[in-house]
Amino acid sequence: MDSLDLEKTYDLVILGGGPTAIACAIYAARFALDVLIIGKIFGGLIATTDIVENYPGVTSTSGQGLMEMFKEHMNSLNIPYITDEIRSIENSGDCFKMHSFFQKFKAKSICIATGSERKKLGIPGEEQFAGKGVSYCATCDGPFYADKIVCVIGGSDSAAKEALFLSQNAKKVYIIYRKEEIRAEPINKKKVYANEKIEIINNTNVVEIVGKTKLDRVIFDNGKELEVDGVFIEIGSIPNSEIAQRIGVKTNKKGEIMISRKSETNIPGIFAAGDVADAPFKQAITGVAEGVIAAYSAFDYIKKVEIEY
Amino acid sequence: MPIAYVFNKLIREEMVKLTKPVELSLFVGTNLVDNENIRSILKVYKDSSNNFLSIKEISDPIISQNFDITHFPAILFINDKGKEIIRYLAKPFGPEIRSFVETLITFSGDPNYYELVIKENINKIRSSIIKVMITNSCAYCPEIISFVNKFAIASNGKIRSVIIDIMAHPDISESYDVSSVPYTVINDAKTFNGMVGPEEVLFELIGGK
Repeated sequence: MDSLDLEKTYDLVILGGGPTAIACAIYAARFALDVLIIGKIFGGLIATTDIVENYPGVTSTSGQGLMEMFKEHMNSLNIPYITDEIRSIENSGDCFKMHSFFQKFKAKSICIATGSERKKLGIPGEEQFAGKGVSYCATCDGPFYADKIVCVIGGSDSAAKEALFLSQNAKKVYIIYRKEEIRAEPINKKKVYANEKIEIINNTNVVEIVGKTKLDRVIFDNGKELEVDGVFIEIGSIPNSEIAQRIGVKTNKKGEIMISRKSETNIPGIFAAGDVADAPFKQAITGVAEGVIAAYSAFDYIKKVEIEY
Repeated sequence: MPIAYVFNKLIREEMVKLTKPVELSLFVGTNLVDNENIRSILKVYKDSSNNFLSIKEISDPIISQNFDITHFPAILFINDKGKEIIRYLAKPFGPEIRSFVETLITFSGDPNYYELVIKENINKIRSSIIKVMITNSCAYCPEIISFVNKFAIASNGKIRSVIIDIMAHPDISESYDVSSVPYTVINDAKTFNGMVGPEEVLFELIGGK
């Protein structure tokens, strides 16, 4: 809060609270831009990851641990961060005006780094048992399932990591995946196969989550049932690009913001980076790189300096 | 339990930002291990505060009863009129350190981002208790704690926040049937499962208008 000034027109306002947003802010601050971060959730999705072992320079840490380091770096540069959500953006010619429910902000440029949120399955029982056995965050809710039977729905690297984390406490962990083989990174796939508590049920879809007051089983598309105490859904994510779409920022069919190699959108002065953008391979490190490029491009936009890549 | 070096360091670094006096009330019960544990954590905060933080320890059951405290140890933020603003039934440790220090700083009188809107809406807000149920492995919990505590401070106790570690108090989690965190309960009626933003909580406090 020390350096927050609601009256001034910031050079760059970054929307989002994950590694992409923080990296963008760190570089912007080092370019001597007046920068402000407005995020709904500090840390983003990676903060819910149990172990991060593919961030260069950091052999192994938790997602939360990694974001603590980002926060420390951000604080060392006195970058203001506020927990809020921008509801509208208006281009007034000389600047962008933004409104949240709590405050108004002005900025010469914006970087949209709002990330993505976990996709829902959309099957009967999912909403009914959300928080009563259905979870989207293993690190948050894993401790509730000590010595219990759980399943992870999905076959991605994130799903594999969730299963590995859950196996530390749970009695049994099933990975239920619609295809033949899970598509985790080889290093994590190997760990999954070596883990005696984890069993993979492949070529199978869950079509219903069933129970009374709490869920007690899932039903498969082949008619079979599996008794479980908890269901962790990890089937990918959808980009948080609604605010961008509302102001005419171009998105692709998946709703991802289309950006250039300079992290530019179709609207001059609005940049985007990270999971909300249209890169095919989404990792913390790739988001960080796009965020850094966005900061450089914002600097370029504001100072009207040509940058040679 | 000795405090891990890394958290010790974090507390020391964060507490430098506290520049005005604050007093916390620590209500202790009969579990000596729990009492000693929380004392040792709060001592790190106090020793890092450049004498701005003071801790008043209370073991008198009558005073505890007056504040309707049934779970111990409890850390209370009480204003100068003796009104409870914030209650922690959780250790301010690990991922909770930053939001706890932020709360201390705001409680000491530093700017509060939500204050203006809370004050503008104070007549529409019912006297409310917001319970935030957490675990110490929940990444999103500190975010909710941070703004809910700021709401409580801005409202000067018309909104009260209670932060509950449900692994330490399983009876509370059972009574609310919680198996997912963060789990936010407003006035024992409206519940939010998972991450919820300040706007949604405020809407609920003002009756959804």
